[in-house]
Amino acid sequence: MANLKDIRTRIDSVKNTQQITRAMKMVSAAKLRRAQHAITNLRPYALKLLQTISNISVTQRVSHPLMSESPNPKKVLMVVLTSDRGLCGGFNNNVNKFAYNYYSENKDKYDVLDLYFIGTKGRDFFKYRGIEVDDCMPNLSKEICYTLAAKTADRLMSHFTEGHYDAVKIVYNEFKSAIQQNVVSETLLPIDTTSASFRTAEDCKFSEDFIFEPAPEEIIDDLLVKHFSTQVYRCMAESVAAEHGARMSSMESATKNAGEMISKLTLTYNKMRQASITTELIEITSGAEALKG
Amino acid sequence: MFQFSLVTPEKKVVENIDISEVIVPAHRGELNILKGHSPLMSTLGTGVLKFKRSGEGAYECAAISWGYLEVGPTGVTVLAETAETGDAVDKQRAEDALEKAKSELKKPGLGADQIEKLQFKMKKAEARIALAEQD
Repeated sequence: MANLKDIRTRIDSVKNTQQITRAMKMVSAAKLRRAQHAITNLRPYALKLLQTISNISVTQRVSHPLMSESPNPKKVLMVVLTSDRGLCGGFNNNVNKFAYNYYSENKDKYDVLDLYFIGTKGRDFFKYRGIEVDDCMPNLSKEICYTLAAKTADRLMSHFTEGHYDAVKIVYNEFKSAIQQNVVSETLLPIDTTSASFRTAEDCKFSEDFIFEPAPEEIIDDLLVKHFSTQVYRCMAESVAAEHGARMSSMESATKNAGEMISKLTLTYNKMRQASITTELIEITSGAEALKG
Repeated sequence: MFQFSLVTPEKKVVENIDISEVIVPAHRGELNILKGHSPLMSTLGTGVLKFKRSGEGAYECAAISWGYLEVGPTGVTVLAETAETGDAVDKQRAEDALEKAKSELKKPGLGADQIEKLQFKMKKAEARIALAEQD
């Protein structure tokens, strides 16, 4: 049985931990707000880009290698988007598990199935399981910026255009709300123009007598590349927001658990203290009784 | 009514403000767009974009790198990859970047795409310096 001093030290240490988790929760809450801001700021740009691409491709009947879907891709690159840090509940684990299952199920179906990691947690997970790590982009935990996303997108794009892969997929945590994240998998390349987001964009009115400078083919070439970078940026922004959301809720429950633990320990501490006082009193009174004789 | 929006992935620089004219660095030289311009779609290069709010005499400027321009019946929309307004430009940093790009361009054995990248960097730095000097 632990003595009084042990319990006191234990309470102090749990209190310290609680302080840390509480601070982490606050930090994540602040960062979450910023990350959400980034997502909302991106929306007008992304929407306009999407509208324009679908408008041009419909009215001018432009086709582009980036948009033409190969019916059964043989060489697939999967981007696994995780964070660099832990202590955020199941955030990284969910993505890793999903990617791992996908990998082991589909490995034999494709000629090539390679992985590309954004964030070190995913890379470490697969390295530990003996899967060769091709390429990695760490340091996502700092402020996400468009430049970083564009750089990543550039690298992925060059893999695709050089013919190393004929499909690029991404697995990441989609940001639903501060307490809910969903693991989703999307196909980034080739760009799917038949998807719902493209079709809704067609509805807006569009005059056909635009002057194009340069030719529509060249414009759409540029726009598709930018659209791809925007998609990568959006996934990163969502993942960062989801990470902070996950960390916030897991730190909140950690703080709560620490509180419960402290109250339990305090109760034991008080019980023991009272027991020892009672014993002492009995000793004193019985001593006095004995002296009286 | 002639409206202007300048949007980047990271922020909305201006949205739906009334302007009298806008000058953009289109991919083959500068383009001045006034009210009543016929519908146009174009890509923009790296350079300084200027616009004049209606009723005001002075231009407001922003250094942009890659952009897309759409002129419609109601106004002008510019999507830019980056856009920096005058007060945000660090002239010293831009000059450093220019120097670095220039010295790297002189190195032998560069591939075509590397040269293109460095030239792009140079242009971007030049646009930012031009912007900083205007203020």
